[in-house]
Amino acid sequence: MEEEAETEEQQRFSYQQRLKAAVHYTVGCLCEEVALDKEMQFSKQTIAAISELTFRQCENFAKDLEMFARHAKRTTINTEDVKLLARRSNSLLKYITDKSEEIAQINLERKAQKKKKSEDGGKNSREPAEAGVVESEN
Amino acid sequence: MADHNPDGDPTPRTLLRRVLDTADPRTPRRPRSARAGAQRALLETASSRRLSGQTKTIAKGRSRGARSIGRSAHVQARGHLEEQTPRTLLKNILLTAPESSILMPESVVKPVPAPQVVQPSRRESSRGSLELQLPELEPSTTLAPGLLAPGRRKQRLRLSMFQQGVDQGLPLSQEPQGNADASSLTSSLNLTFATPLQPQSVQRPGLARRPPARRAVDVGAFLRDLRDTSLAPPNIVLEDTQPFSQPTVGSPNVYHSLPCTPHTGAEDAEQAAGRRTQSSGPGLQNNSPGKPAQFLAGEAEEVDAFALGFLSTSSGVSGEDEVEPLHNGVEEAEKKMKEEGVSVSEMEATGAQGPSRAEEPEGHTQVTEAEGSQGTAEAEGPGASSGDEDASSRAASPELASSTPESLQARRHHQFPEPAPPPGAAVCPPRSRTTGPRPRQDPHKAGLSHYVKLFSFFAKMPMERKALEMVEKCLDKYFQHLCDDLEVFAAHAGRKTVKPEDLELLMRRQGLVTDQVSLHVLVERHLPLEYRQLLIPCAYSGNSVFPAQ
Repeated sequence: MEEEAETEEQQRFSYQQRLKAAVHYTVGCLCEEVALDKEMQFSKQTIAAISELTFRQCENFAKDLEMFARHAKRTTINTEDVKLLARRSNSLLKYITDKSEEIAQINLERKAQKKKKSEDGGKNSREPAEAGVVESEN
Repeated sequence: MADHNPDGDPTPRTLLRRVLDTADPRTPRRPRSARAGAQRALLETASSRRLSGQTKTIAKGRSRGARSIGRSAHVQARGHLEEQTPRTLLKNILLTAPESSILMPESVVKPVPAPQVVQPSRRESSRGSLELQLPELEPSTTLAPGLLAPGRRKQRLRLSMFQQGVDQGLPLSQEPQGNADASSLTSSLNLTFATPLQPQSVQRPGLARRPPARRAVDVGAFLRDLRDTSLAPPNIVLEDTQPFSQPTVGSPNVYHSLPCTPHTGAEDAEQAAGRRTQSSGPGLQNNSPGKPAQFLAGEAEEVDAFALGFLSTSSGVSGEDEVEPLHNGVEEAEKKMKEEGVSVSEMEATGAQGPSRAEEPEGHTQVTEAEGSQGTAEAEGPGASSGDEDASSRAASPELASSTPESLQARRHHQFPEPAPPPGAAVCPPRSRTTGPRPRQDPHKAGLSHYVKLFSFFAKMPMERKALEMVEKCLDKYFQHLCDDLEVFAAHAGRKTVKPEDLELLMRRQGLVTDQVSLHVLVERHLPLEYRQLLIPCAYSGNSVFPAQ
């Protein structure tokens, strides 16, 4: 039992490390882009710090999102929760709001398309997708 | 002595009877106290709590009576028992006790049998197994604890209050009947109610004369008043603390028309005040509920004595919390009382704190707005969230404020640095039910000054004025942010009212509430008992928590 717990712990830890590595890599890429843009170099420590920070902040975000969803008595995290999370920074909030509207629109269009197609024929393959889309929208 | 009640309706008497009849007369322990042991065992097992409780009650009830005399006689009659066993005692009880039920009132004088009671009670209490908790105290205190136990059985809800009464030393004169019967218990309990009313209101919010939030307000307001008087900052406008969010346009609401009797020096202020108050004169009379006026009248009187500035200070400071309604009312009451002596008091105020008067007219407007809502505020309804109201009210108040300064600039000039545009939202208490319009002015800032003072106190070092101002700004932003968050959380949950759940979410985000530390734990740690009772339902029971029936 203890061994299992330990191995589980280890697995989780290694999983976490992999995630951190992925984040680090992404941060590195982004920093390179910015460095090219601004013609200013980033030291390794900086990139490491940023990636660590990002990772921890992602943890916080996840917890907050879960709390928000629970606060609204839901079990699924919604775009509303994400917007609530981003309310602190105005530009981010605006960006996210725009994106969410975009997505909503896309869903609507897809819905319209699917309705059309289902009217024409071939309902079977579409219906589950449609249901999924509808649910995600709602 | 045979009560042949049907089994379906067992009275203590019948139960006792059954026990006595069925009990094995021999104890396993000692031949002498054979019966005692058997009785003990039986009582403990068969009847469990109910019987012992009833036994207890009976024992006490009967013991209090004059029958105790008879019982001791009976006891002596049973010469073969050298010591009192529970069995014998119970038998004596049954023998001597009248057939009436416990609930029947009996007029027995308690003090007389008290000494006799004590003796047998002592013997009985020595038989701890029977759980006869008869007091082994002096007669003077015998009654109370004795009453307590049956009280606990019969009237659990009232125990806490009774305990308080006991703690305060119930005057014996009020326990003349000395009956341990439930009814007499009730009467004696009622008597106890008569004396200490305050603890009642503390323990039983239902019986409180005013909503509990008011009480909390008193404490905080009083402290703030103390602090503010010491500093005597005249800045604070009289308004604030408005329970209502909607700034009625033109502040028509609620003022007495102050007699515009301009006096030298006070002319401008008074005129401005008079204008406003006149417009809202009728409103006040209609709206102001008698209750707040009465309640606040006393305070208003005090305030008057202190001069205007003090009042404005306190009211401004109070703007922060639920104090608002209270202070609002105070101001209103004060205004009422000032009808005649306006000029006089203002003259005094001028001498003491000139600018305060300048604030006053502005305060008037806000107060007027608030007053309309006074009644609702006191009703403690779940008011609207603070954020929106604050914003709207703030918009309204600056307009009014700007209109007055013309006449009052002379007095206000040194006020300007303070009211310099505060960053928006007023301080909004986390749990504000009804928050009124908060002008971004001194009164609002004055509320923060309280916290700033706390800060400087805890800093233990002298602080620069600039630093303190910075602190004030930071606090302002912090509270503003806090209230915005609360509002957003409430909206997120599809509500318009800020509820404790929203606050809990906020504290969770702040890291104060974690999986290990819940909100209740924090409440218990940091808040005084009155608040705790409000927040944690089980605290209502006053430490006597029984399983739900």
